[in-house]
Amino acid sequence: MEDNKQEMEAFNTRLKVLTGVIVFIITVLISRMAYLQIYDGDYYASLADGNRIRIVPAVAPRGIFYDRNGKMLVTNRPGFTVSLLPLNGPISPEVIQNLSTLLNVPVEKINERIKNHIGFDPIKVKDDVGPEMMTLIEERKDQYPGVVIEVKPIREYTMKEYAAHAFGYVSEISDAELEKKKDEGYKSGDIIGKFGLEKVYDKELRGENGGEQVEVDVTGKPVQVIGKKNPVPGYDLYLTIDADIQAAAEKAIDEQLVQIGAKAAAAVVMNPQTGEVLAIVSRPAFDPNLFAHGISEKDWKKINDNPNFPMDNKAITGEYPPGSTFKIVTGTAALDSGHVTAEEKINDIGHHWIIPKGNADGEVLGWINFEEAMAHSDNVYFYEMGNRMGIDTLEKYARMFGLGKITGIDLPYESDGLVANRRYKELNFKEEWYLAETFDAAIGQGFNLVTPLQAAMVMGEIAADGKRYRPHMVDRMVDVNGNVVKKFEPELMGTLDVSPEVIKHVQTGLKGVTVYGTAASIFRGFPIAIAGKTGTAENPHGRDHGWFVAYGPFDNPNIVVAVIVEQGGYGAQSAVPIGRKILHAAFHVPTPEQIAAQEAAKKKAEQEAAAKKKAEEAAAKAKKQ
Amino acid sequence: MVSKRWLRRTDFVLIGAVAAILIISLITIGSATHINNPSDERYWYVERQGIFTIMNVAVAIFLMNFDYKILGRYGNKLYIFNIIMLLAVMFVGQSALGAQRWIQIGPITLQPSEFSKIIMIVSIATILQDKFGRINSFRDFIPIALYVGFPFLLVMKQPDLGTSLVFMAIFFGMIFASGIRLKILGWIFAAGVVCAPLLWHVLKDYQKMRLMVFMDPNIDPLGSGYHIIQSKIAIGSGLLFGKGLFEGTQSQLNFLPENHTDFIFAVVGEELGFIGATILLLLYLLLLWRGIEIAKEAQDTFGRLLAVGITSMLAFHVLVNVGMTAGIMPVTGIPLPFMSYGVSALTTNIMAIAILMNIHMRNQTLQF
Repeated sequence: MEDNKQEMEAFNTRLKVLTGVIVFIITVLISRMAYLQIYDGDYYASLADGNRIRIVPAVAPRGIFYDRNGKMLVTNRPGFTVSLLPLNGPISPEVIQNLSTLLNVPVEKINERIKNHIGFDPIKVKDDVGPEMMTLIEERKDQYPGVVIEVKPIREYTMKEYAAHAFGYVSEISDAELEKKKDEGYKSGDIIGKFGLEKVYDKELRGENGGEQVEVDVTGKPVQVIGKKNPVPGYDLYLTIDADIQAAAEKAIDEQLVQIGAKAAAAVVMNPQTGEVLAIVSRPAFDPNLFAHGISEKDWKKINDNPNFPMDNKAITGEYPPGSTFKIVTGTAALDSGHVTAEEKINDIGHHWIIPKGNADGEVLGWINFEEAMAHSDNVYFYEMGNRMGIDTLEKYARMFGLGKITGIDLPYESDGLVANRRYKELNFKEEWYLAETFDAAIGQGFNLVTPLQAAMVMGEIAADGKRYRPHMVDRMVDVNGNVVKKFEPELMGTLDVSPEVIKHVQTGLKGVTVYGTAASIFRGFPIAIAGKTGTAENPHGRDHGWFVAYGPFDNPNIVVAVIVEQGGYGAQSAVPIGRKILHAAFHVPTPEQIAAQEAAKKKAEQEAAAKKKAEEAAAKAKKQ
Repeated sequence: MVSKRWLRRTDFVLIGAVAAILIISLITIGSATHINNPSDERYWYVERQGIFTIMNVAVAIFLMNFDYKILGRYGNKLYIFNIIMLLAVMFVGQSALGAQRWIQIGPITLQPSEFSKIIMIVSIATILQDKFGRINSFRDFIPIALYVGFPFLLVMKQPDLGTSLVFMAIFFGMIFASGIRLKILGWIFAAGVVCAPLLWHVLKDYQKMRLMVFMDPNIDPLGSGYHIIQSKIAIGSGLLFGKGLFEGTQSQLNFLPENHTDFIFAVVGEELGFIGATILLLLYLLLLWRGIEIAKEAQDTFGRLLAVGITSMLAFHVLVNVGMTAGIMPVTGIPLPFMSYGVSALTTNIMAIAILMNIHMRNQTLQF
């Protein structure tokens, strides 16, 4: 009991301390109130009364895209936004009516915006109105009380459709995106990357918006700035893209599509030693500028109704049968697994002896070895390879090349492709595997599917002696002060587990393609040694797709190209000419027109020099006299 | 149910203070929200808060029939329930502003961390009652600290910095009252000071921003600094007498976001002035003083600890919330008890008062 009493006394003492703490807290809070409301009250009253506080947002400019040589590709331009900033009561219906007529925005839409708006920043009526409209409103300010013009950076793709699929586009954030990204600081009305690099690097590109908290008087004139936050521009991206190669690839594809009457195509150009993407093209394309301030219904319908899906980046999303380009994989597999030697000759009698499948045009090549079979793209030879290896070995090597899964490029919506295999058939068709399907798989038909990027990767692995680097679009990110924030180094993703001899034989066979094989006629006279492979992929929905993959210079490759022309027919006729033009640009080989122009220029210079000399002589003569 | 005997044993000062605060709350919520709502729903918030107040009071009166000591039997079960509830928030909770705090059940969104506070008080009281006056070494202290630490970390993880700090306040209030040696307390504070920089790395970006903004609101005048600046302007411009109910320009014109929840005190400051704000703070003082008195008079250790825990919780809420609106505490999202709109917090606080009343009543039964 005594103990308990002592305990109680201790407890009561502690309670007294707690009471003291509570009294102290309330005293501090009341003192603070006295300070704010009585000592400093007049100051705050002046801020709140009569005067008003407004927020003037300043949108951070988005990071700029440069090519690998520092050429500007995507930038921002100032755009004028007409907004409402109610200062004394609501905006009059008259003003809204006038604005509606002037800007061609329905009155109901403006009223809805006003109704849904919360907060005291300006209410947007129309984005990007053009300088004429801006002057018009600014000059008649008294007729438009409460109407303000804000300057906001607008994304500009100066070259329109150029590399549109790689750059992507930006647009106002959607409700679904907002819900997901609220925590990352995205706000309603923000501009966000929706596609391409704009989407992948949105967080780095967008920077940080700023603004001013301004005290304004009754007429809306700023009296003083209460708080200010400068916008921080987003990071600039120096892409791995080479603007000249990109331009050449786009031009080559456009010309070829017109010439052969095809509608869709894609191309990828990379450095196989680093994974840098030098050019990436997809056709048909779209103009990303259309999206920057809300695409019109008409434009969207036009894009949406195009049966060739302009919004798809076919270079990474399109899945096509690889056709004969897949013989690179089949050949590597057959040699490395020991099912054939490079020297062994196989007799092409026009068709295979087990299953009567033959060459596309029914040619008969007779006794041929590995390299000849590769150069001439002999189907019978590769059927036999499939026959000897079986589908499982072929599958193993295809996966070793990285097929059947995304390459990991820094662009959105990449497709996996598909490697032909037993399990897939079982799952999807509930049937066992047939030898005929192994035959199809061996020449890149049947279940096999690759994206043009994957096709380039396979060729690149042969070029780089078995090394596979992650394809990437960005070389470095640079902040507004020019400091490199992040540098993207080559990233080795895998190495072919095959003997160097095997790769040598495959390389030699592929060189044969441009020397005496399927692409020889088009590469005649090309000054740099090129390894290539054509392909013609059967298409159940129409004409065959034409393929061409290539790398060069043969001895020290730093360029790999993959081209597909959808429904272009033979690869040698549809895709190879595009490939050749791209390689021209990549190696700075002058085209015949350029040579002609150069010669003409030289001639002109000579003539001018001669004329000048003549004139001088005449002048000298005249002087003498 | 309410008999004459009951009335005699009621703590009218406590009831009066709470009732007064609740009335001020409903008026202020009405003032803060009516202008932003469509006309047919003008007083939606007030009605909702009012209905829940009445329902809660009814439940509280019913609970008077039970002895609070029953709670002691459920201390550990409640503790486990609390942990499950907090984990549930983590997995099925809805996020807002970077924090997962809500669970949707039918039309009601519950904020389990609010209920968690009162459960913590009961659980801590359950384990502390056996150690009352005997926390003399770290060996006595550490098991209790671990017991509280686990739910603390779960709430931290949500992340709900505010509630986790409330846990701390409850814990230290109760352990202090339990007679922990001051030397141990001193060491804990020293360790806390040393560890504070480590805590910085655990915080989310927006939490860091809030703390930085507290040092200098102009760092982020459009974001979290905006609240503080606007709140100070609202309070300061209230002057001595205030602008009158429904007349506060800052609050009415939506300059002040969340003015019916976390920043409701700014509306009081603006519309009722220094006098109104002071009266409200004095009502809190009265309430807290009753809490301490009830602890003093309680007939058992469990009751004493419960009363101290509840008082600590409420005092901390008042300090941090009013301090935040007045710009002397960082923004942590702690509501003002009985004032801020919010069903979960309201329920928790009324239940807390019900427990205080219960302790007070049973105490008198013995004396009479």
